[in-house]
Amino acid sequence: MVPHQVPSLDAQSLDAQSLAVDLPVSDTPRRRAWPRFLTSEHPFPWLAPITALILAFGVYPLLYALWLSFFKRNPITRMNVFNPTWNWGKLFADERVWGAIGHTYLYTITALLIELSLGLAIALLLDSDRKGYGLLRALMTLPLVVPPAVTGMMFLLMLDGSFGVISTGLVSLGLWPAQHPILASGSTALAGVLLADIWQWTPFMVLIMLAGLRALPKEPFEAAAIDGATTSQAFFRLTLPMLSKIIALAVLIRGVDLFRIYDYVKVMTDSGPGTATETLTSYAGTIYFKNADFPYASTISLITLLLVIVTSSVFIKLFKVRF
Amino acid sequence: MEETFLQKRLRDVAAVLVVGIFMFPLFWWALTSFKPTSAIFDKDGIVWFNFKPTLVNYAVTMLGKSRAELAIESGNTFGIGGASSYDSRQTIIDSLIIAIGATALTILLAVIASYALSRMRFRGRQAYLNWILSQRFMPPIAIIVPVVFMFHSMSLLDTRLGLVIVDTLINLPIAVLLMKSFYDDVPVDVDEAAMIDGATRLQIFWRVVLPMVKGGVAATAVLCFIFSWTEFLLSLFLTNSIRTLPVKITTFVTSTGSEWGFIAALGSTAVIPSFIFILLVQKQLVRGLTLGSLKE
Amino acid sequence: MSFKKFDQQTFIVDSANAYTNRQISKREFLRRMGLAGVGFSAFGAGMLGNPRGLRNGNLLGTAAYADGLPDNQAKWLKDVGSKFKGAKIRYSTESTPPSVVLNQIKKEFTDPTGIEVEVEIVPLEQVLAKATQDVQGQLGSYDLYYLDQSWISMFQPDCVDPVAYYKEKPELAMPDFDWDDFSKPLVQNIAQVEGKWMGIPFDIPIFTLMYRKDILEKHKIAVPTTYEDFLAAARQITEAEKGNGVFGTGLQAKSGHYSLECDWSQAVWGHGGSIFNKNKRFSGNDEQGIAGLKWYQDLLKVSPPNSTASTWDGQFEMMHSGQVALVQSWDEFFPGLDADDSKVKGLWEPAKPLTAKKLRPASEAGFNEQPNLGHQGGSCISLSKYSKNKEAAWIFMQWGCCKEIMTRCTLVGGFAPMRNSSFADPRVKAKAKVGAGTTRHLETVKWVIDNAMATEPHMALWAGLSTNEIPTELGKLLTGQEYGGDPKKCMDALAKDIDAKVKDAGLL
Repeated sequence: MVPHQVPSLDAQSLDAQSLAVDLPVSDTPRRRAWPRFLTSEHPFPWLAPITALILAFGVYPLLYALWLSFFKRNPITRMNVFNPTWNWGKLFADERVWGAIGHTYLYTITALLIELSLGLAIALLLDSDRKGYGLLRALMTLPLVVPPAVTGMMFLLMLDGSFGVISTGLVSLGLWPAQHPILASGSTALAGVLLADIWQWTPFMVLIMLAGLRALPKEPFEAAAIDGATTSQAFFRLTLPMLSKIIALAVLIRGVDLFRIYDYVKVMTDSGPGTATETLTSYAGTIYFKNADFPYASTISLITLLLVIVTSSVFIKLFKVRF
Repeated sequence: MEETFLQKRLRDVAAVLVVGIFMFPLFWWALTSFKPTSAIFDKDGIVWFNFKPTLVNYAVTMLGKSRAELAIESGNTFGIGGASSYDSRQTIIDSLIIAIGATALTILLAVIASYALSRMRFRGRQAYLNWILSQRFMPPIAIIVPVVFMFHSMSLLDTRLGLVIVDTLINLPIAVLLMKSFYDDVPVDVDEAAMIDGATRLQIFWRVVLPMVKGGVAATAVLCFIFSWTEFLLSLFLTNSIRTLPVKITTFVTSTGSEWGFIAALGSTAVIPSFIFILLVQKQLVRGLTLGSLKE
Repeated sequence: MSFKKFDQQTFIVDSANAYTNRQISKREFLRRMGLAGVGFSAFGAGMLGNPRGLRNGNLLGTAAYADGLPDNQAKWLKDVGSKFKGAKIRYSTESTPPSVVLNQIKKEFTDPTGIEVEVEIVPLEQVLAKATQDVQGQLGSYDLYYLDQSWISMFQPDCVDPVAYYKEKPELAMPDFDWDDFSKPLVQNIAQVEGKWMGIPFDIPIFTLMYRKDILEKHKIAVPTTYEDFLAAARQITEAEKGNGVFGTGLQAKSGHYSLECDWSQAVWGHGGSIFNKNKRFSGNDEQGIAGLKWYQDLLKVSPPNSTASTWDGQFEMMHSGQVALVQSWDEFFPGLDADDSKVKGLWEPAKPLTAKKLRPASEAGFNEQPNLGHQGGSCISLSKYSKNKEAAWIFMQWGCCKEIMTRCTLVGGFAPMRNSSFADPRVKAKAKVGAGTTRHLETVKWVIDNAMATEPHMALWAGLSTNEIPTELGKLLTGQEYGGDPKKCMDALAKDIDAKVKDAGLL
């Protein structure tokens, strides 16, 4: 990739002469056809459509959800009664919520760590211009295009205690006891769900890392080689720091998505066994679908939103992520 | 660092192994789509290749054939769905329409907005940017109820347009982020040079800068397409008769048995359009994902 | 549930269709019929000469069961139905046999009336979610609801009383509909709330005992009749057959799923307990309730480990693949076990459900709960008050629930019918032998319906409690996540939670 070239506009070329001759600005005042803020000079017309869409379909529903959270639902009449503290109080007392928060963070952090390191490792592995590597890189993107709901079902079948290829494979290799199917045992169910996520999203990290690696300038590495640095020294002292900005951004994007995970849990374990894989969004879903308690489900979703905002703000400040 | 011959070979082996592991589930899935049910659920062990391959699963989902005709011949399906409920051709078409529509709308809005965000400095620019990005933080479940009611009053429920709108909404943050960084790649001097030549903003945008970020547009389009193609929750609730692919697949779970054969067949097919799209724009995709951060 | 047979019927239907549309010749049609195992008498074959000669003007679905609607009903369908030509009605349902069959033969309805019917077939949870959404906003996106019996309390305000409507609108009433023909226990338990009609009974999966004749004979075990016998038999079989990968029994014990709640409530009833007592308090934690739960825990120990991740379709898989020998569960499974490609064809037998030492009488239970021996999971089909096409939907509803169509659904699918006339129909009786689409279990099922049908409580919170709170806590107990295997702790925690919720809703 070509390094950034800055055409020089230094003092010499910007003298009054050239400007005066070249600028076609006329002396007669122009009659404005439109008010200032509607011209293409002003950001307004550029941003208006997108702002309108987001206000209508993003902000309004959010406000509605917030408003809803101040009502208590009466299951018999199905009416909502104004009661601002009911849902919020219930939320803090509900141990399933705290469990869900714990699971969500555990899931997010574990997945991030694994996907990041695996992604980087695989990117390093595949970053070669030799024949066939292009194909390997293309194949690596395949998991990304499978709908998560389908991925969930795929892994559900493969991890099935009696008929799944992964489960029976592990059992026959003696690596896993047959009495504890992965998805049916509290301690390992989350791992099973994580497996689906890791399979699907490591390629995303691989892509990003590959792009980053390919954009690295060669000179520092050549200099290091001349100075006698080993491969791992070059990696830790040069590659990583240069990639850090990209890593931070990737972590942010992926982390936010992980926090909102829904499809895999719903399809594979439905928050089970017990509540071992219950995340915030799957609990919100349960309350929504099974108990039809919309105000409470809204409240749980809002807490999720709040946690995401807080956590990502902290992250952005800490790692100085810029965009 | 030059690799030794041994290192090269080791690397090759490792690379193939790793990619192979990632491809295994897809391979297994495709294999399953050709198996009769008795081979999918054999209590005595996993069936690898020891079965009579059958095209029933594809015929039913892809060609809308009556499973009865085929079942008589192969004698190996079970389940109670009538033939029509598994025919997935319309589903694929609908999913394609919605994904393409959402991608187009997203690109349109993002390309325009990001230009302004990249080029124009105004008060609150960073705050505005943060606001757009924060839209991605929202869990879809939070907005189902209000959106359903809104759509109902706007007669958008169960329409493709409705899904296009929500998919766009969810894609916009990432699209804006990406496009802005592509625009940032293009030096402002290009704009200024064109301005000196008397072009208006609009002309600069349309004639000069936009063509330079073509690659970025392609990369963004791919991500939008993938997302829309795979979206599940909102599609489930905002439609009744229109089924997108992920939703359709979950309906193959019946009260007396999941139709794994059909699920496998449809799932395998679901991968194809997205993959083709990716192959077409692969170069730009990899380039584009630097997100501009390396320039800092 | 018949699988292979259903495919065969569809094949017949499709061939008949093709023949009627002149896509295949009469010779080809007869050849296909022969292939499908259908013989034609000379008279029948003669009739084929003129496809328009049959009643209803087409052969759809009638080739093998050549009775159409009786003339007066067919005429009614055409005359009254066609007034609403062009209407489009929609309904969302679980993928149970009657719905699927209806979906298949709905052309017979659309052809004479011009009313289009769209059936949305989705997993059960989605049905509940979408129906809830619909009534919440009175959206009218569905004209008909498919309602599981555990939800009928919740939806009762949103449904039209069909009997009253029938009387109110005689011009739309189907002649000879015969409301009394519906099995009384079914009506009371799945189509009425507090004595008021709210829908028409539509399907009735119900618990009964099923066993592998050959395995029991091999180990010289008598067919169990009590809960203790069942546990002992299951233990014995699992012990003996461990090496072959066969277990005594298999359970649908998936955490957080309604199927677990069904298994559990049956266990409780069978031990003389109930879910709610007459004071409307949760009573799963009383002596009988705990005894039932303990029994279930013991059963789990001798079941395939996958049981805690299986719902009814997982359990069916265990039976179908030969993994288990004894099961007390949904009768719907039965025809599928006899499918032609089934490994266990002809090996399963139906039997009456296990008897309890002493059942708790309904007067001691709360919220109209009926403890008994056979847990039912029936559903009804209801007309939505918010429907924009009420009359057209009503016509369809009557057609779908009339004698002929319901009998036909049973014939094609082999599952228990709602009407007494269907049980007695000679065509149904004729299929009571081993083979796909068998109806040989229906006699047992009818007995259970008439004598031992158990019903869950009917109250507004029940849909949520039975699909969320109860199976989630049970799941925590059974998978060892909490409570350390102590059933009392688990039930006490549930009691606390449920009583608080019931009180808060003002139902106490």
